[in-house]
This record gives sequence, C-alpha cells and structure tokens, in this order.
Amino acid sequence: MAESTSGLDTLELDAKLKKYRLNRHELGLITEILGREPQGVEWALFSALWSEHCSYKSSKVHLKKLFSRSKRVVEGFGENAGVVDLGQGERVAFKIESHNHPSFIEPYQGAATGVGGILRDIFTMGARPIALADYLCFGEPAAPRMRQLLDGVVRGIGGYGNCVGVPTVTGQTEFHESYNDNILVNAMAVGLFAEGERVFLSKARGAGNWVVYAGAKTGRDGVHGASMASESFEADSAAKRPTVQIGDPFFEKLLIESCLEVMAQDLVVAIQDMGAAGLTSSSFEMASKGGVGLRIDLDEVPLRDPTMTPEDVLLSESQERMLLICEPAKFAAIQAIFHRWGLDACKIGEVRDERLVELAWRGETICRIDPDALVERAPQYMRAYKPWKARNRVGGEAEVSTGVEDGARFLLSLMGHARGTSREWIYKQYDSRVGAKTVRDCSDSVAVLRLPGSGRGLGIVLGCRPHVMRWDAREGGIDAVAYPAIELASKGFEPLAVTDCLNYGNPEKEPVMSEFVASVEGMSSVCEKLDAPIISGNVSFYNETMGRNITSTPATGLIGLRADVDGVPASRFTREGETVFALRLPMAAIGGAAQELTRQPATGYGQLEPSLIAPFTRLLLSLTGARPGGPIVGSSRVVGKFGLAYALARMCEGGVGCRIDDEKLKTVRGELSVDDLFREHLYEVILTATPGKDAELEAAVREARGALAMAAFLPIGRTGGRALEIGSLLRSPLDLLAQAYGTGVWARMETGSDKTGEVRA
Amino acid sequence: MKIGVKVMPRKEVLDTQGRAVENTLREHGQKLDRCTVGRYIVLDLPDADSEAAMARAKTMAETVLCNPLIETFELERL
Amino acid sequence: MSRRVGVLRFPGTNCDRDVWQAVEMAGDRPEWLWHADRFDAAAYDALYLPGGFSYGDYLRSGALAARAPAMRSVREAADRGVPVLGVCNGFQILTEARLLPGALVKNQSLRFNDDWVELEMKNPVPHFAGPVGPGARVRLPVAHADGRYYVEDDELKRLQDNGQIWFTYVKNPNGSVADIAGVKSEKGNVAALMPHPERAMRNWMGGSDGFAFFKGRG
Repeated sequence: MAESTSGLDTLELDAKLKKYRLNRHELGLITEILGREPQGVEWALFSALWSEHCSYKSSKVHLKKLFSRSKRVVEGFGENAGVVDLGQGERVAFKIESHNHPSFIEPYQGAATGVGGILRDIFTMGARPIALADYLCFGEPAAPRMRQLLDGVVRGIGGYGNCVGVPTVTGQTEFHESYNDNILVNAMAVGLFAEGERVFLSKARGAGNWVVYAGAKTGRDGVHGASMASESFEADSAAKRPTVQIGDPFFEKLLIESCLEVMAQDLVVAIQDMGAAGLTSSSFEMASKGGVGLRIDLDEVPLRDPTMTPEDVLLSESQERMLLICEPAKFAAIQAIFHRWGLDACKIGEVRDERLVELAWRGETICRIDPDALVERAPQYMRAYKPWKARNRVGGEAEVSTGVEDGARFLLSLMGHARGTSREWIYKQYDSRVGAKTVRDCSDSVAVLRLPGSGRGLGIVLGCRPHVMRWDAREGGIDAVAYPAIELASKGFEPLAVTDCLNYGNPEKEPVMSEFVASVEGMSSVCEKLDAPIISGNVSFYNETMGRNITSTPATGLIGLRADVDGVPASRFTREGETVFALRLPMAAIGGAAQELTRQPATGYGQLEPSLIAPFTRLLLSLTGARPGGPIVGSSRVVGKFGLAYALARMCEGGVGCRIDDEKLKTVRGELSVDDLFREHLYEVILTATPGKDAELEAAVREARGALAMAAFLPIGRTGGRALEIGSLLRSPLDLLAQAYGTGVWARMETGSDKTGEVRA
Repeated sequence: MKIGVKVMPRKEVLDTQGRAVENTLREHGQKLDRCTVGRYIVLDLPDADSEAAMARAKTMAETVLCNPLIETFELERL
Repeated sequence: MSRRVGVLRFPGTNCDRDVWQAVEMAGDRPEWLWHADRFDAAAYDALYLPGGFSYGDYLRSGALAARAPAMRSVREAADRGVPVLGVCNGFQILTEARLLPGALVKNQSLRFNDDWVELEMKNPVPHFAGPVGPGARVRLPVAHADGRYYVEDDELKRLQDNGQIWFTYVKNPNGSVADIAGVKSEKGNVAALMPHPERAMRNWMGGSDGFAFFKGRG
C-alpha cells in the first residue's frame, strides 16, 4: 500500500494510523467493509470502537468460551451489567470494571470516575445501586509516587461513593513491585431491582423514536481516552495526557434519582450511559444491538466548550451523561423529571429503520455508516499463546519452604507489614452503612447486605490473589473464583454468579497471553462446577510500563445468597473455651505470600481440582447455612495468605486467644514445623461451633462428608487466653499482635515517616 | 514578604463546585454568566527580596499547591 | 399515636430513604418535603433533615441547602415549636440556617471517618431519644468528613449554661469542641447530631440504639 486512494503518501498514512491507533491490517478491513477508505470522523469512530478497550479484540475469542449461563441469569455479557434472579421477586445487577490508567495519571479523579462509571452501568439497567467494592493493587509503598497514589485513590473512591450515597462494603488491597509503575483500580457495583421493577436494556427500537441526551454537558474531557486505555505506558505518559475527566458525585446522585424515576414511570424504550468513547460507543452500540439506525444531530449536543470539533464531541468522555431512546410523546414527561432534579435533557436525534447511523454537523451529514461495521465487525485476534504447563513445582509438600524460623517474630512482622496489616485506615474513609442494609462491612472477610424485601442476606466478596497468580497462572485463575467462593460458603452464602476484571500486560507478548488463556480457563472451569456463571466484567490489557508487565490479575467479584442474616458466622473468636476445628480439602500447598516476603523462590506442590471445589463449598454450606434449629457454626475463616498462624491471629482480633495442640495439628497436617505454619494449604477453613453445638457440628460434617472423602475435619485446639499459642511452635501475646496490626503503618505512611513494616523471618 | 496564590480550575476542565454554586444562585433568582470556585492561599515567606519570594512561591505552587492537570495558578505580591 | 412526619429532600441528600424507613419502623407516617417547595409549617408533628451531601457539600457543607425555599418553612415550623431533627448533613444545614448554634468544620484528621461511636447524653430532647436519660450512653455509627463542631468560647459557655448540649462523644472522633456530638436550640425543639440513629435500628445493623430517636415522647 504505497499510495492510498485518499492521496496520502506512506508517511502521512503512517502518521494518521499512529494518531488513531490503528494498523494497516485494520485499515484494510475498514476499507473492505466500507468499500472505500475511511473519511473524516470515521477515522475517530473506528479508532475508538475498534480499540482493545471497546472491542475486546485480543480477548473475545477466549471470552466466548467462558461459562456464562445458569437458570438464574437474566442478562449476561453484552449488556451494561449482568443481572441475576435471586428468586422471591428480587434481582441484582452487578459488574466490576477497571480504571487503571486514569488512576495512575490522576489518582483522585481516576478512582472517582471509575466509581462513577461502574455505578452508571448499574443504574442504567434500572437497578438502584446498593453497594460498592474495590480491588486495588499498588506497588511497594516505598516506590516513587506510591504514597500519593494510594492516598489519592482512597480519597477518590471515598469522595465519590460517600457523596453519591452508595456504601463501600468490601475490598481488597494488594502491594507488589510489579504494580510500581502501573497500579490497578477495579471497582465493583451491585444494584437491586425490587419486586416488579423492570430491567432496562440498551437496544434502540422503534423508527421515529427520539434519541435523548441527559445529564452533564460535553467538554473536552478524556478525548481519545478509550484508545489511550489500550496502550502501554511510556516514560512520557505525563506529557500526552488528555484533559482529565472530572467526576461529580453530586451530579451523579441527581442522575441516579432522575433516571430511576424516568424508568419507574416506564418512559424510556432503551437507555445507556456514555462511558468509554462517550457518545460514539453509546449511540453505535444502541443502534447495533437494536438492529436499527439513528440520525444524530451533533449540533444539538449540549457543549461546555463551543470550540469543540465533531470529533471531540463524539469522543468526549465527560462524565455523568446518559443516552435514552423514548417515544416522542413521552419526551415532555422525561424532561420534566430531569428538570425537577436540576438536570437537562434534550432531543439530539431519531431512530430509523434503515441500519445506518447518520451524524450531522452544521447542517451537513458527516458520516453515514452501518453500526455493525463498528460494533460487530471489529477484528478478533488469536494472539499467540502456549498451552499451559504447571510451573514452580517441587516434589513434595515438605520442600515448599517459606524460610521462616522464628514463627512469633515473623508473625509479628507480618501484622505490621503493608501486605499483612489492617486495612482499617483505608476503609474508614468509606461510608459503609448508607442505605441501611449493611450487616457486615469491610472489617469482615465477606460483606453482607440485608435484602429489604425478603430479609435474606446478599454476600459480596472480591477474589484473585496475585501471589497465587505469580506461582502459577492456571492455579491462580482457579483460585480467583474458588477462594472467594469458599469464603462465601464459610459464611453460609451459596455462590451464585461472578463478575471479572481481567488485568493483564501486553497481549501481543506470548507469555502474557499464555497466562491470560490459562487463568481464564481455570476461572471458567470452577464457575461451571459451582454453577456460578461469569455474567459481566471487562478486560484491561496493556498494563505494561516500559516493557514491564504487571502480575496477571484476574480480579473477581462474587455474590452469594443465604436465607437469613442472623446466623452468619463471626470472623473472630467470640467466646472462651470453644473447640477450634480445621476443615480441609488438601489439594495443593504453596510457599505463597510468606515466601515472597522472605525472598524465597515461589514454589508449590499439587494442583487445584475444580471438580472438588463445588462439593467442598456444599459441605461448608451444609454447616454454615441457615438451619431450622439455629446456627451451629459460631465463627469461621478461610486460611489465606501467610497460612494458618496469620489466619488464627486474625481470628484472635476480638481479644479472645486460642491454644492449638501440637499432636492434633500434626495429625491434621502430617507435619509439625514453624515453616508449615506459614505455608498456604489450598484449601483450609477454621471453624468453631456455637455454644454447646460441638457434637452437632461433628455429626453434621460426618453426614455431609460422604460426597467428599478427601475432606478432613478435626479439632485442633481451644479458644481462650490472651495469646495465640500454636503448641510448642509459636506463642504471641494478643496485645502485641493487635498493636502491630493497628493502623500504625498507614498513619506513618501518611506522614512519610515510615515506608513499610520490616519483615523478620 | 507575603505572596498570594490564586488557584483556579483550568478552563477546559469541568468545575463541579462552580457548576453547583452557579445553578443554586440561579435558582435563587440571581443573574450570572458563570461561577468558578478556586482556592486562595497566602504564603508568608522569609525572603526580604520580592523576586526571591516570588520564585519560592512559584516553586511551591508548581509542586504542591496546584495540580497542573486540572488547575492553574496566579501569584500576587501582598 | 402515629405522627405525621415530614422528611426533607435536598439535591444530594442520600440518607432520605433510610430515615423514611426508620420513621416507618417507629410507627409514624413519613411524607417527602421537596427543597424547592414551601410547605405548611403547621401540618407536621415533626420534621427530619436526613444526612447526605446536599449540593455536593460544595462551598460549605449545608450552606446551599440552608438557603432553599423549604428551609423558610422549616424555620416557621421551628418557631411554632414543631420538633425538628437534623442528622449529619441535616445538622450542618441547621447550623448554616442559624437554627442551631455553632458550625461544623473539617474533621481534625482531614479525612472522612466511618466508625461506630459511643455517645453520652448531657441534656434530654424529649421529642427524640425519649427513653434515654442524662448520663445514658448510646452506640451509633458516624460517617462524615465535616463533623468537627465548632463554637467560640463564650458561645460554648452559653450552651453549657443553657443545657443545650444534647450529646457528647465518649471518645472524640473528629476534634469537636468539648466533645460535642449533638446540640439543641434554646427552646429545645430543634436538635441535631452527627451520628446516624437511622443506621442503628435493628440488631442486624450492628446495634439498635437509634430506634429511640424515632420514638419521641413529644
């Protein structure tokens, strides 16, 4: 292609392709679809909608294989968020999404607009947002800008979520050097449809219906944001920033109320928020999904800056804007509702039968194009990858060394280390109870909301443990669903459905793509066994800075359901003299997070078997769920990062200690060593019975275990005292642990006087 | 030497606070074209020389007081 | 007997539905009152100003809402002796409207703070928190960034002398003057506090001490 028909020479063409982030192959495809080369704003349209961010061109071939249906799924992929039927007239919409690149550039606004965007995905479907959760990955606390990024992101999430009146009920915060130059900010939102409330979709319908623009005016914010999110960071990323998008939670609150009111009165045919690639993606997607055409008069779009070009108008990512389709006769009523809430709504176009999107500007038609060309016909790449081979394996459990010798000293240093310490400094900055549904908040391992209609409990938990991903991507993918599912089950919640936010490096690099495929397959296989489909999410590729990729991080959000909210097991010991039980499904053991801190190479033994995870959650549920005679499990915790000693220390947070018996521990684990106390056995759950129910709990396990002979259940000790004692291996006074675990690290980090806790093995 | 630092939202960036105040003033029947809300910071500096003080204030404004992504600043001698 | 209770909604109010639910739990009849509309000051047995971020907390917390038309009716009602309760942002609005003394400024930590706090009652407001007497302690959630109560020394003395301090924090979470968590007007019918009683109505919420605030003896 030396000389193109449009008269551009090779250099000019290359410059244009670079500007619009398209390649020659893609230009060829566009030319084939259009029967000519793209012109004018078409370049910008293809650039935005064929970007990785909007088109999923590197991931779609694999995402199609995800387990995504169950009898509970009302809406899955393709809509703004997935919707699940909880029965009894209640349905929830939920989704998780990334805002990594914007948050690295401007942490406060990046995180804030991430929250705003995910909330719009929820209420655009007609659901009232009832909860937020955040999955955050930061670099090492001492890395450049990291304190500022952490502070800005936390303030941004709080600033937006608190103001808009949606509680932040759970979260996960990771620290690792692989995120030093590329942090992850993933926000999940959950919305509730009460009985009789309709689910609204984004399919435009009905020739002659009006296209209505509502909410904030359009400014130059984030023009080309979608294609930027599809690129790696370079050293000069500071220099090529588009105008930062500013979020206004106050405005969003008004938008939520007005949109929900408009939908409650059944005034709209279809609705979609203007997110990535703004008006372009919302209009073309609504047309494509509805199988109709639209004519949009760009001069009617309310602008903040009158000097904007049509390209700017189409690509602006100004926040808090919605696109609605309505019957002409209903427009006045819609406008009245928006006005009452102090917002504007105006007609900017019409729906047509002919499947063409026609854009007009200053009286001229500047674009006439089949919406499917942009939405459905983007290229799909089968990026190079290799079939997964297990890695970092050793011959046996005993070889999985964490290198820890002084258990008490190591445990104490973990409690004060950024990776092990309390997240209270973070979550105290979030309103956890607005909405008056919160039963368990960020201080617990699973968030619990009470569904007002039925009085049942909705459990929310985030997943993906990057240190497991660093050990082995396939196992890490399985764990990203299995671990949170077991957490839900440990509190009596049946896992129902999953949303995922797939954060990876550059998909054009084979090792990255290989991890992507392996982990996504791992996730999907567990979902299928659990009958908990993946119903929404997004993919964030190109989390790469100057050639360095992040840890592949498939963050997940799971929701679960239980029949009541009263019998949810505590996460801490509450009474002295109780028997401490361990329920185990021994499939694998890894050196895990402890190994990373002691700078040992990552090793592990065994492998996770998805087909065993479902029966294990069912076994747990039979113990922890609501029972006619009242609950029999008083407290529970899944043993996670840093292994058993750390999990027990967390269970002692309430001030009730425990004493674990050497001999019993040896019976359970087959080995008695300080090293083993910090290994991570997949999977292991600590339980205590409610008062006087030990025998009943043991009987219940015997009864339910039939289906899972591999599972072991044994008493390992008793609660009581003011110390954590693990036989002859470790003794830590609770006040010392509590002191180390307090908010000290954060407070010192805030003032810059301390970088992070020091680890002593 | 006292230097005033006026920090205002950049014109092309959405001023959320200004928009809310502007709309409220209008609701109260006030006439105005636009309202912008910024910050005013007064620095009391040790420099006797006003050029040196301005230079010091400029550094502070550029590095801490103003976020150049979303704000602009102006200095004035007080 | 069930009371007719007006619940005010400003743009950005976000605890309105929670307060509505609390009023219903207490057996009263809530009705929405819209910020842009005046209402009949004699029509309600009590008025509630819920929490949230009216007008995004822009300018000053509560400042823009305090000047809304509905607040003129609130003032008339307050003058007639109608019980008025402000919670969190409602407290900020009532101080900005000068229906209550003092001001609420940024927390000492300069951060939003979500927590449970213990309060001690200093002087009763019979309309709200009926069953609780002076010296009694209640446990309620707080969630605010601008909750530090501020008054000048002479004004503080006047509040103390008049018995206008409703609640103090047992452990001060935000730097409030004299640990003040809630105050009442001179006549005693207008009262407000930063903590959220509507978020502590039932045990599953983490506590039920808030229930009493919606069960007035008025």
